Amino acid sequence: MSGCEHAVEYVYQYIDDEMTLTRRSRITMHLKRCTKCTDAFEFEKKLRAKIESCGKSQPPPELFDHLRALIQQERNTGDPDC
Amino acid sequence: MLETADVGDAPTDDDVCGVATGRRYPAWMADQANFEQDAMEYAPQLYSAALRMTRNPADAEDVVQETFLKAYRGYDSFEEGTNLKAWLYRILTNTYINKYRKAQRRPNEVELGELQDLYLYRRLGEQSGATESAETTALEMFVDEDIIEAIESLPENFRMPVLYADVEGFSYKEIAEILDVPIGTVMSRLHRGRKALQRKLWNLAVEHGLVEPTP
Repeated sequence: MSGCEHAVEYVYQYIDDEMTLTRRSRITMHLKRCTKCTDAFEFEKKLRAKIESCGKSQPPPELFDHLRALIQQERNTGDPDC
Repeated sequence: MLETADVGDAPTDDDVCGVATGRRYPAWMADQANFEQDAMEYAPQLYSAALRMTRNPADAEDVVQETFLKAYRGYDSFEEGTNLKAWLYRILTNTYINKYRKAQRRPNEVELGELQDLYLYRRLGEQSGATESAETTALEMFVDEDIIEAIESLPENFRMPVLYADVEGFSYKEIAEILDVPIGTVMSRLHRGRKALQRKLWNLAVEHGLVEPTP
């Protein structure tokens, strides 16, 4: 397996920081030499960051009041059997 | 390749209070009186995740409310100092599954087909006139709505790992605990889910006439 194929196979574990140090440094070494893979890894990182920022939605402001009221109501009805 | 959505096998309502804490020592159990104070900060994130799963604000709020109620009732069994966020997400996941998957006892099988590595990167690189690092710049053509549409287009068993990793920042191990599946399953679904999301983004770009379709 070429260095590029190996790097691409582990791209997600690499950007998620979910791999052993040995494996990680092997890929880091490859990235230092390979601009194509560096480019691809950058792309995946950027896309992940974009998904992170776009995937979040704000709740309606009344959600907090609803949740508090719900718990208050539950508290008043006594101990659930749990 | 066929992926089986065994998230349907996750604990039922009755198990919620007994979510494994894996404790080995006599531990400090959480105090129900502190529940609001401890859990409320996670409400916005939980709502956001519920919205991505239900795709509907009213349903999302229902799921979050039910999650909070179950979490409050079971809070005495939560071991203080362990992962409260993951514990809440596990309850959220089970609540969602029980609410929307109850009728479907059999796990649904979802076919994603073979997906190339670096799917979107390669497609964008094939564009005529693409210059060096043009792919990364091209990412800017996608607006928030495209990204949301792409996330929500994923089959549920792929959507959850992608959401939990990319949006919520959970580790593979945490996702495995939340979804009650082995880590290997999390990795394969996450990787395949991400590629499917990229294919959806590419298709959206083609639909919107932002790129030239490749043969």
